[in-house]
Amino acid sequence: MKKLGLLFLFFTSLLSAQENFTVSGSITDASNGETLFGASVFLEGTTIGAITNEYGFYSITAPSGDYNLIISYVGFLDVKKEITLNQNQKVNFEIQEYATQLEEVILTADEKEHVNIRKPEMSVNKLNIKTVKRMPVVLGEVDIIKSLQMLPGVTNNGEGSGGFNVRGGAADQNLVLLDEAIIYNTSHMLGFFSVFNADAIKDIKLHKGGIPAKFGGRTSSVLDVRQKDGNNKRFAASGGIGLISSRLALEGPMFNKKGSFLVAGRTSYANLFLAITNNKNRVGFYDLNLKTHYNFNENNKLFLSGYFGRDTFKLGTSFETTYGNASANLRWNHIFNERLFSNLSLIYSRYDYDIGIKIAEFNWISAIDNYNAKYDLKYYFNDKFKLDFGASAIYYDFNPGAIEPTSTESSVNAMQLDKKKALETGVYINAEHKLTDKLTAQYGLRYSYFNRLGGQALNNYANNQPVAYNSVLGIYERGEVIGETNYDKGESIANYGNLEPRVSMAYELNDNSSVKLGYSRAAQYIHLLSNTSSVTPLDVWTPSGKYVKPQLSDQFALGYFRNFKDEAYSLELETYYKTTDNRIDYIDGSDLIGNNTIEQEILNSEARAYGLEILFRKNTGKFTGWVAYTLAKSEQRTDDANAGGLGISNGEWYKTPYDRLHDLSITGSYKASDKWTFSSNFALQSGRPVTYPNGQYQYEGLSIASYSNRNSDRLPLYHRLDISATYTPNKKPNRRWKGEWVFGIYNVYNKKNAASISFGQNSETGVNEATRTAIFGMVPSATYNFKF
Amino acid sequence: MKLYIKLLTLLTISIFFSCEDVIDVELQKAPERLVIEASLDWEKGTTGNNQTIKLSTSSAYFAEDQNTPVTNAAVKVTNTNSSEEFIFASQNNGSYTTTTFNPIVGNTYDLEVIYNSETYIATETLQPVTDITRVEQSTEKGFDDEILEVSVYFNDPEDEKNFYLFRFKEDGDLFFELEDGDDEFINGNEVDWWYEKDEEDNQGEFTSGDRVELEMYGISEAYHNYIRTLIEQSEGVGLFGSTPVALKGNCLNQTNADNYAYGYFRLTQVVKTNYTFE
Repeated sequence: MKKLGLLFLFFTSLLSAQENFTVSGSITDASNGETLFGASVFLEGTTIGAITNEYGFYSITAPSGDYNLIISYVGFLDVKKEITLNQNQKVNFEIQEYATQLEEVILTADEKEHVNIRKPEMSVNKLNIKTVKRMPVVLGEVDIIKSLQMLPGVTNNGEGSGGFNVRGGAADQNLVLLDEAIIYNTSHMLGFFSVFNADAIKDIKLHKGGIPAKFGGRTSSVLDVRQKDGNNKRFAASGGIGLISSRLALEGPMFNKKGSFLVAGRTSYANLFLAITNNKNRVGFYDLNLKTHYNFNENNKLFLSGYFGRDTFKLGTSFETTYGNASANLRWNHIFNERLFSNLSLIYSRYDYDIGIKIAEFNWISAIDNYNAKYDLKYYFNDKFKLDFGASAIYYDFNPGAIEPTSTESSVNAMQLDKKKALETGVYINAEHKLTDKLTAQYGLRYSYFNRLGGQALNNYANNQPVAYNSVLGIYERGEVIGETNYDKGESIANYGNLEPRVSMAYELNDNSSVKLGYSRAAQYIHLLSNTSSVTPLDVWTPSGKYVKPQLSDQFALGYFRNFKDEAYSLELETYYKTTDNRIDYIDGSDLIGNNTIEQEILNSEARAYGLEILFRKNTGKFTGWVAYTLAKSEQRTDDANAGGLGISNGEWYKTPYDRLHDLSITGSYKASDKWTFSSNFALQSGRPVTYPNGQYQYEGLSIASYSNRNSDRLPLYHRLDISATYTPNKKPNRRWKGEWVFGIYNVYNKKNAASISFGQNSETGVNEATRTAIFGMVPSATYNFKF
Repeated sequence: MKLYIKLLTLLTISIFFSCEDVIDVELQKAPERLVIEASLDWEKGTTGNNQTIKLSTSSAYFAEDQNTPVTNAAVKVTNTNSSEEFIFASQNNGSYTTTTFNPIVGNTYDLEVIYNSETYIATETLQPVTDITRVEQSTEKGFDDEILEVSVYFNDPEDEKNFYLFRFKEDGDLFFELEDGDDEFINGNEVDWWYEKDEEDNQGEFTSGDRVELEMYGISEAYHNYIRTLIEQSEGVGLFGSTPVALKGNCLNQTNADNYAYGYFRLTQVVKTNYTFE
């Protein structure tokens, strides 16, 4: 019966569209022509409205009549325009940023980031790139990933670890997209800096749950980062000089203002300091962002974007490694009519590393390549019903590793681990449906299908057990190989299909508050192999297949959202419960590097995470900022039925390394005058779960530690305060050159937060001791930024 | 390959503003267990008749007295191929010795230890080892090509999987340095296995006149799995190290399975040599 009711509602909403007309168009920034994502367009006095999509497009359908169309966007002046809706029409807007001439406006409405209480979208954080740029950061390097960690539900595994963790998930469960291209490693310099150059970035959106049906392939989150299109009004440059790196971005119109370009580069120069201090080691990175677009006409736009980044490490003359991401994306926006918007993307991305070990005279090479085609459409039926649908296909090419001896005298043999190939496809449909004035729903379905392709041989194991429990010794052992099956190129090794429903609802309690509810299921077919507590650049991705099953997660979330005092303050409260099946765990003593039969090192496990997140923001005035607090648990249980035995930690639930019981982040910014702005961060969180010794014994003349149950200890409480000040010298209104200084102190009170604690014997006294490694003590920095 | 992990950590430490210090940490306390160090190593060119097994108990990690010998156990080794029995007599200091052991490569031996009315057993096969062909010093191998190192050369047998344990020690050092090896990437090749120290190590870099002991053991695959993890964990689990695990050897408690013993019953062939830097 319930279903019938919904269906009825569905059709009545479609039928009522008969006397309606549509106004559509795009919204851009007047100063540089950048399209604006997430601007709201409303018909005054009604609840009819829309939010612009990733390409700044909106479409509103309403009964004929005279209306005031209101455009509003964070940090921009509201625009009001009268329209007479008696036919379908196209209206493009260029809106103005709060400019310096309008000082009084800034004070009242600067950077308003209130909660959208009406949209069923939940578990989403949007970060304004300006907010990110103001936050104090280590060594003055603006870092999107680090800024995300100030939000509730987002942590990372401590200084010096790559990636980030969302709601107790692992770093490989985040889908990180840069202009839709998958980025496999988000960090430079082993996790100290992120690969995103803030000067080239327009929007950052993090979905922590309730992932829209158009995204697939990861179970924890989607980080959707969009590059700027480039200024199409005039040539402009911006850049900065910092302690670690320097940046330069150039942008301007092209093709007779029918298009634009953006080129942004960044390079580190830590090497200079190392050379000066006579250090034989070298460390460095650079990256390059490219974007260009061309408007054929009102309805057709072409975008080309690219990213290339590289890290280099050298340890004396004995060891050298380079690694990095590369991506390219060609997109075609086509507007079929006022209500039907489409985008076709062809994307390539790659992550690879190359290690040269001179001492053993060989190179070690590993890479993951993917080719992705996507077609996404959005149909704006009417003001109550919008439909997203589309399809995508990703072809993966994994090279888990190859050894190339660099000389004939090398004692190492050439070797190639089996290359793996796979095809991941998905189709989806998602509706955004206003059921009543108070109740809005978003419901969708994604079907994903993963085909692990042949072209390689796979081992067969006794009892089909790649890992078997040795009940005599009480340990997991590599299973007995009883043969090999060769799969031809045309053959499929294994395939998996999954239906992934995604539903959320928002119910408006009153003008200022709402409750939201969501459920989503997501499948993940590729996995990052890492038995270390921190992700390293040398970890390898592996696809699901005969022995490795896809991860499946289910997440429920419930939230309360409220704006106070005319949206000057906002409060977001969310709870979630998430379970994940088929998470990979590792047998004791697993060896992952250079291993051709990974299935012999891993066990199947399940994970669960739950928590409460609170985000309270002050959105307006001289002082803005937020307090974020998360109370959460993240646990894992490994009792692999196929391998038998008791499982890890006797099959009990144990904490994942991403478990943080308490996580408090406070960030604030105070605009003292036209010249000075002060910002500060404070972070306080439970230490990372770790495994400490619980005893020792003598063996081989050494004191050998016995270890307690996995992750049953914690590092000490982590806390840190950072401050920064931005100084903008006298502005000369007629001069295009604008400069600013950013001074910062990271970890003001020089807290030695433990990145790790290791246990061992002192080599001189033989006494056991615990050694703490703290990475950043107090670090001052200064950066000069400019634009013209 | 765990070399990388070490290198990454080294890099991180040397390049960033990191610091290391020794701190006090409160630890959990595990129940006391028997520790069986039954390493029956047959040095090539000797009879291998004299063998020692050491028994002790485990203690708290920061315990002041870590020498807790077990003197009242009964220890016996049996060759399962020939049924020959070897009784190890307690020396009342935790050592149990025999002078009649008869090592035969490829034969399988059983160990039986009776302690506190509980019986511990283990089984292992005696592994052969290839010869060290030569020992040389140089500077261009090792991490640093300005520092002296010593290399042990040997020819890895091609027809089988081989696993190695190396023990190196400079005169005056407190402990042997343990390294494990397998022939996965080097099968059938002439291999040079180097040993280098840097300024941060005890006694610093090697200089002319320094003398080192060099030992190479042929070990079983199961023992290799065990000792590899043991070595990795005894070096401290740092920033990029894998999560430490409970290390289980091959000594089972027949009477009470949960009360298993630490340590291992290994049977190896070993070649020993030494080298004095020129």
